[in-house]
Amino acid sequence: MIEENGAPSGEKFFVFYNPPVVNRFLGIRRGYINESSRVAQEFLKRNLQTIVFANSRLHTEVLLTYLQQANPAPPGQPPAIRGYRGGYLPGERREIEHGLREGRIRGVVSTNALELGIDVGSLDATIMAGYAGTIASTWQRAGRAGRRSGSSCAVLVASSAPLDQYIVQHPDYFFGRSPEHAFVQPDNLEILVNHLKCAAFELPIATGETFGSVDVPDLCERLTEAGFLHRTGGHWHWTQEAYPADTVSLRSVTSDNFVIVNITEAAEVIGEVDFSSALTTVHPKAIYLHQGQQFHVEALNFEERKAYVKRVDVDYYTDAIRYTQVRVLECAASDRIEASGADAHASRSLGDVLVRSQVIGFKKIKFFTNENVGNGKLELPENEMHTTAFWLTLERPLVESLPFSVSDRQGGMFGLLHALESIATLLLMCDARDLGTAIGERPPSPGLEIEWEETPSPEAIAALAEKEFFEPNLYLYDAYPGGIGFSEPLYRTHNILLAKTRELIAACPCENGCPSCVGPVGERSERAKEAALAILSRLGA
Amino acid sequence: MSRDDKFARIAALRPARGKPEPASRISDTGDGGDRLATLLGAQINRNHYGEHLSLRQWYATPEICLPDPRSLALLLPQSPDAADSVKAAIDPEQWLFLDTETTGLAGGTGTYAFLVGIAWWDAGGLQVEQFFLRDLDEEHSLLLELSERMEKRPVLVTFNGKSFDWPLLDTRYRMTRSVPAFAPKVHLDFLHPARQLWRLRLGSVRLKDLERHVLAGDGRSLDWSRQDDIDSSLIPQMYFNYLRGGPAEPLVGIFRHNQMDLRGLAALAGKILSLLDSGNGIANAASAETHDPIEVLGLSRIMHKRGHSTRARELYETALHFGLPRHVERLAQRELAQLAKRELDYTRAISLWDALRETPIPSKHDKAPPLAEDAQRALESAIEAAEQLAIYYEHRAKQPKRALDLMRVAIAELQNARHAAQFASERGRKIEARLIRRLMRLERRCAGAPLFGRTRSRNRSVGTTA
Repeated sequence: MIEENGAPSGEKFFVFYNPPVVNRFLGIRRGYINESSRVAQEFLKRNLQTIVFANSRLHTEVLLTYLQQANPAPPGQPPAIRGYRGGYLPGERREIEHGLREGRIRGVVSTNALELGIDVGSLDATIMAGYAGTIASTWQRAGRAGRRSGSSCAVLVASSAPLDQYIVQHPDYFFGRSPEHAFVQPDNLEILVNHLKCAAFELPIATGETFGSVDVPDLCERLTEAGFLHRTGGHWHWTQEAYPADTVSLRSVTSDNFVIVNITEAAEVIGEVDFSSALTTVHPKAIYLHQGQQFHVEALNFEERKAYVKRVDVDYYTDAIRYTQVRVLECAASDRIEASGADAHASRSLGDVLVRSQVIGFKKIKFFTNENVGNGKLELPENEMHTTAFWLTLERPLVESLPFSVSDRQGGMFGLLHALESIATLLLMCDARDLGTAIGERPPSPGLEIEWEETPSPEAIAALAEKEFFEPNLYLYDAYPGGIGFSEPLYRTHNILLAKTRELIAACPCENGCPSCVGPVGERSERAKEAALAILSRLGA
Repeated sequence: MSRDDKFARIAALRPARGKPEPASRISDTGDGGDRLATLLGAQINRNHYGEHLSLRQWYATPEICLPDPRSLALLLPQSPDAADSVKAAIDPEQWLFLDTETTGLAGGTGTYAFLVGIAWWDAGGLQVEQFFLRDLDEEHSLLLELSERMEKRPVLVTFNGKSFDWPLLDTRYRMTRSVPAFAPKVHLDFLHPARQLWRLRLGSVRLKDLERHVLAGDGRSLDWSRQDDIDSSLIPQMYFNYLRGGPAEPLVGIFRHNQMDLRGLAALAGKILSLLDSGNGIANAASAETHDPIEVLGLSRIMHKRGHSTRARELYETALHFGLPRHVERLAQRELAQLAKRELDYTRAISLWDALRETPIPSKHDKAPPLAEDAQRALESAIEAAEQLAIYYEHRAKQPKRALDLMRVAIAELQNARHAAQFASERGRKIEARLIRRLMRLERRCAGAPLFGRTRSRNRSVGTTA
């Protein structure tokens, strides 16, 4: 076991920066992306080699745009600030790594792609635009600056997200806590089946072989029926042409991807995106950002997995609007919730769900000001995922006992879910993207007979918050097919989850809700914060 | 929800490519194998590991070829013991042709060679023997039989066997953990020489295409026809269907396909060896007429690669003399210029570079990728020729002004092409940057500035500190 870090290191400053509140009433702080860009600029101005980490590909490109505009390259020279993320072609990535080691590239904006495993030498400063989600990632990112000698600096610029606010306001939590434990769900059927396929390819599986507590013969027989294996002479043999590990990705559940073809001049492949991000980043009419350069998506060929883009110069980027519905397939465990000894007319559950999501439109957002300058409607295929979820059911007597208008009640539910999600990621020590949320009317009974609601138009999404729920389920689901084991601990520790959520909302200094607790006021009704607290107190928290 | 439903969902997410046919026979009794034996007239081979099917057939064609040691040497890797290899391979009676049919092209431990075909020269013709796995557990006995045959004829002859068939079989032997492999003394793989000789002409060098365009040429025809040959990409699925109880009939086509591949390989070996023989004495025009000029170019490239530069130059000149299609001609001119430059024959090199400069570049064709690509290639060789000429004028002829002019023209040409979107932008940028560096250096030189400014000043500063 490795307990101490023996790597040589010089003096290092770790700065937590919380952008100032600019509107106390709305609880709005100065935008952390702009602030990160400003901080990075301070380092770059002093010719310190700087790495900026953003938490999404989109933010990487937006930050890159800002920094390249502030540091234009001399004519004929390659830019001194570069972007780096999955989706760039390998050759381009190697060139950037090389440039960083040589010091030719003075600044780089990256996703977690540069977090570990790649040698870029030591840099002078790390700027993190937003909390990375876990303590371990944060240390990794900070470690990109200053490895051996000389002083270095790591700056964490907090966003308004509850988790970020929690971390910057409780530095002891960050410095005192050992990096988190990994959550693994070895019985995830999706992972298990792929393991078995790869194992059978390497060596035929003998009939008597075991694999943990898994029923190997049963799974092998099923794989045989599906045409993957063939049983003969006491062994299951691999009987497919393809190499099974090719279809297993270490990073995501599907290995399917889209290539991005630049057709501004002679057609040229400039990058790729994985299947699940394709719908949100290269949908028709999207602005796809690559190395800070904007490309307009002319067409998305779903069959051929190609997106055709043309170079453009516009002052906005796009953000996709996703609509999600959840259906319960099977309830694995369920329990009533009691408040001070009496039934709270609520329950908590754990089980399998089917999540259907669809990108239904997009917003155009102006650079620097972040104004919404237009919407677009999209008709893209739906995506279905089978996963596990934890959910709270609020029954009719509880909902009706809330002394609020319908819209305030709904606002309270959405607000509560927003805060629950933040606390859940903190408790699970997972990335915010590992969990998904949704609210839906409690189904009469779980089962495979699923009637989906018709997908609303983007305009109708806003009105959706007004829709009245009589017995809502508040879902927190694992954002991976098959589930990765988050639901069970949430179910087990729901008391802590509710108590901490209450703490978060009650302690928030805003008046009527803000991005750091129940979500921004603009998206919630005015008394959402109050309503969320009322629901929590009825749940005994 | 039960595991059944879950599994069905996951299986539905990623269905097997080509669903297995409904099983008409679900048993391990091997009656499908018996049916196949009857259809083919095959026998059952038995040894202490078990049994498998075996089929023998003799063909009067192709006929044996006697290799010349010099040509044989061109097929073997250059190494200190090359002479020993030539000695071992010189007797064609020691050759064993081999071709496998497998359950996939992925390679690795989960790919099986379910049909192994071998052949050898016998009684003035070709004897073919095929071993077949009626089920995957018959592999041990098949591999044992194969290693016994290989021991008798230790010179392995294949088409792409060096990177596919033999490594795959080697892995199969290893996986048995009991049957020892017999490593061949010499391995002649005809894929690589075939590529060098015919890829420029045919694009691809699949055995099937070589049979049609090379072996059956010159008014000769082959004794077999690929007309009802199966599509080889379907082979794995056909075998899987059979394993799961499907009918035996479709497999007859695989046996036939494998037989034709072996006969094609034997014929190809003869053709390539005789070409290499003539390559060793083709310099006079008369004999070259009987050859395709692109074939001659292929021969010259083989010689070039092997360091036989004199022979290579003669062959390049012959190929150019008889006329090559324009895009191939450029390639020949480029390579011959390289060779001439290395031998300090600047007169010839300059005439070739000039020829490359004079070539009209194919004009822009809208939305025609193959032609557009050709235009790019043409322009690239013209620009490269300009660079080579500039190097010559600057360093050899000491006419930097002339070199400067050449660079200016080349840059203008490239910029025009990039502007007209005839050039992949990334590559264009790189070449342009390279040209501009040279141009700037030449400009400094022509302006009388110190040429190696940077190097000298560094040296000087070292001097002062010392």
